[in-house]
Amino acid sequence: MIPLKINRRELSQIFIYLICFGLPLLCMILPAGFFPIENLTVIEQRIIAIFFLAAFCWILEPIPIHATSILIIFLELILVSDTSLEWVRSTEGTALSYRDIMGAFASPIIMLFLGGFFLAKAATKFRLDTNLARILLRPFGTQPRWVMLGLMFITAFFSMFMSNTATTAMMLSILVPILAVLPEGDKGRTGLALSIPLAANIGGIGTPIGTPPNAIALKYLTGADSISFGEWMSFGVPLALVLLLISWLLLMVVFPFQSDRIELNIKGRFLKNRKAWTVYATFLLTIILWLTDFLHGINAYAVAILPVAVFLATDIINKEDMKKLSWDILWLVSGGIALGYGLDQSGLAEHLVTSIPFEGMSIYTVIGGSALLAMVMANFMSNTATANLLLPIIAALAVALPGISQIGGSTTIVLAVALSASLGMALPISTPPNALAHATGEIQTAQMAKMGILVGIIGIGLIFLTLWIIA
Amino acid sequence: MEKLYIVCIEDQREVLNSIVEDLSFFEEALVIEECESASEAEDIIDDIDAKGDFLAVVISDHVMPGKNGVEFLTELHDDPRFKRSKKILLTGLATHADTIKAINQAAIDRYIEKPWQTEMLVQYVKELLTAFVLQQGIPYKPLLKYLDKLTLFALLKQTG
Repeated sequence: MIPLKINRRELSQIFIYLICFGLPLLCMILPAGFFPIENLTVIEQRIIAIFFLAAFCWILEPIPIHATSILIIFLELILVSDTSLEWVRSTEGTALSYRDIMGAFASPIIMLFLGGFFLAKAATKFRLDTNLARILLRPFGTQPRWVMLGLMFITAFFSMFMSNTATTAMMLSILVPILAVLPEGDKGRTGLALSIPLAANIGGIGTPIGTPPNAIALKYLTGADSISFGEWMSFGVPLALVLLLISWLLLMVVFPFQSDRIELNIKGRFLKNRKAWTVYATFLLTIILWLTDFLHGINAYAVAILPVAVFLATDIINKEDMKKLSWDILWLVSGGIALGYGLDQSGLAEHLVTSIPFEGMSIYTVIGGSALLAMVMANFMSNTATANLLLPIIAALAVALPGISQIGGSTTIVLAVALSASLGMALPISTPPNALAHATGEIQTAQMAKMGILVGIIGIGLIFLTLWIIA
Repeated sequence: MEKLYIVCIEDQREVLNSIVEDLSFFEEALVIEECESASEAEDIIDDIDAKGDFLAVVISDHVMPGKNGVEFLTELHDDPRFKRSKKILLTGLATHADTIKAINQAAIDRYIEKPWQTEMLVQYVKELLTAFVLQQGIPYKPLLKYLDKLTLFALLKQTG
């Protein structure tokens, strides 16, 4: 006989599993009359169950977040698609096309990100990032406050095109040796260490490929609402810059420097072989093409294949490099796309929205509330998963909201939520950049929380200001 | 969850105790095994591998009865199961020839001379653990406290 011993940790694990998988199962087998929605079809009910599963799994993370995405796709295929398990197939409601569900893996959004990954990989491999940082930091001199501004500016700039995590890792590897020579007890050390993740998270707002929530937002901005790469940057970059400057000022007030000199030491020279030149040229050309789609007519998604094609053809990115791309991020986004597709195609989204009584609700309350919700959620879970969960619902909601056309249509609310998802940065667990910066040992969680909440709230204010200007 | 191991091999009990004491910083997250001979260590690492756990770092003395440290580390280096495991030679008595062998044949990652300083030993284990965790593709986030930051950032820079 093995004595049954369960410690508290295991107990909480079991509890998490019950919530994540038990509740959705219950949700699927309950009679339809149990839900406060009239004429709920079997397919719709199953989509609700899948949505709950996604939500619980992304929040509590009993399995990796990209695994949840694949689970969504798998469950949609066997439960609600036109190739679903025969014994559970329902004639009630519209079955989803299995081709479209699988198509989530190759959605234009995914291609856009793949292009971004190739650019970032090539830039890192040919040390374009480190060398640019070296050149761009030079004019900022040795005064600590200006060096900090320089570091933040460059971090934000890089994270517009590279993953926020890779950018943070690169900048912290420059910063850590400097921190070590600053005197113990100089508050500026904390300020500097905090400046990097703040800048990386803020910089992600700048372009559609800056961070996955942005690309997911594009998915829900179609037809008349669609935004080009250049249009996004036209408001994203100023927004990021202003928020960056405010964060810099805040950091200097809260963590004043005692030292009066910081010496940066980044070694290396620009690579000057043929492959390196190809990387520089392709990088530049891709960005130019992204910004000038109104001239040549190739959309951002198609342009994104250019770096992929060039770098593979020239062996700048080889087979081994390809294996090391962040496929988990792409699959994480795919699951979100499939979830959105399920909500939309099953008719559930529309069905839900029509059963919500909007009369008497202020449009501003709805928008403000959803942006705040996005920020709070993103503080505790992945920013991408937050966008995956909220955006399909928000996009459906936007169509039905009375009075939305006066404030810029559904674009406003979709952007408000997507951008707010980038502002979840109050805790070490909020984003990978935060975790890395916290790992330097220079920052206490309370200090990070104070700055994160402050910048987050100011950020939401700025987002609304920006959206009001562009509406 | 697979466990990560640090295996220490040293024939003198009191020296072994002081190594393990120095490594107590890692105790919460890793398993630290104490062995008094190479053959005892071989048993333990076979066990670790059979359970699917990871041998992250080996710290071995050189002069021991039976198989010596360099011989043991050379065999470890040639064993495909422990290709990525990191090796530290901790010794005061290795000859010039032993040292050359340790580098060329056992491909040791660090050489520490006795008597050693605690901070140095901890720092080296941190660096090697970081490299092992990232090369092995083990999630690094729960281990952040035990990793060397510069090594981590440098490796993450390349992979994102």
